[in-house]
Order: sequence, then C-alpha cells, then structure tokens
Amino acid sequence: MSPEVQIDAMAPDFALEDFEGRVIRLSDYRGARHVLLVFNRGFT
Amino acid sequence: MAQLRQDYGKFVEQGAEVVVVGPEGREAFARYWREQELPFIGLPDPEHRILKLYGQKVNLLKLGRMPAQVLIDRNGRARFIHYGHSMSDIPPTERVLALLAGFAKEGSTGQGSA
Repeated sequence: MSPEVQIDAMAPDFALEDFEGRVIRLSDYRGARHVLLVFNRGFT
Repeated sequence: MAQLRQDYGKFVEQGAEVVVVGPEGREAFARYWREQELPFIGLPDPEHRILKLYGQKVNLLKLGRMPAQVLIDRNGRARFIHYGHSMSDIPPTERVLALLAGFAKEGSTGQGSA
C-alpha cells in the first residue's frame, strides 16, 4: 500500500540546521523553488 | 535514496530542491551523505520537530506512516503526499517529476500570485 494524497494547504514553515550547520528555512524557497520534503526513517 | 540521487538533476531542472529529514544526528547524516555522495540537503531532526509540526498543524502527516514525501510548490503549498510503508517503498520519482512539470505549465499563475 502506498497511499497518495492530493492536497492544497500551506505547508508549515520550519527552520532547522542541516548537517553542515546551514539553516534551512522552508519559506526561503518561496517564490523561487519547489521543495520535495522527504521524511526518511533510517539509513539502513 | 539512490533513485533520488540519480534523478536529482531532473529535480533541479524542474526548479525543485530536495530536502531529506531524518531522526539521525548530524554525525550520522554527514557520514551517510559522504558515503553515498548525496547531492541534496540533509536535515537531522532527532527531536522530530518537522514531523510533529506537519502532523499537528495540518494533519498532513500521519505519524508512524513512514517514510513519506511531501511536494511543496514554490508558493509554499503542499500539493502532494506519498506515504510509503517501508524503506524500499519510494515513490517513483517520475510521478513527482510529472507533477513538477505540471507546476511549470501553471507558469506565471503559479508565481507568487496565490
């Protein structure tokens, strides 16, 4: 099962440091780029 | 992750960035990114801040239904979510790329006018 959901809601903004210490803020991409946000479960 | 890496150039061509969030710490991310030579952004989120935010704010993500991918257009709208039930269940990147191509066709209407 791989449910797919079509939606059209504002994605909550967030700001978090990436592993190199850069602050990644979702709203910084607004008007510039689309973002594929991948929630990963593990690197195994 | 391998497929995402392979198709990363296509995402960039379609005007998209790829951001991978995971529960591991910074060191684990750095090691994995180095080993796998991943070109996209890696966000360590051991406190599940983003996951909780998305779960609570708009009930976008059903916690526990991982992995998941959320496609957010450049207007900040979440347009598509794919839930997977296992690590190997990654949505075909073609699907996401097709959606991105659709965004491009929305063109000027999609740029900041929403």
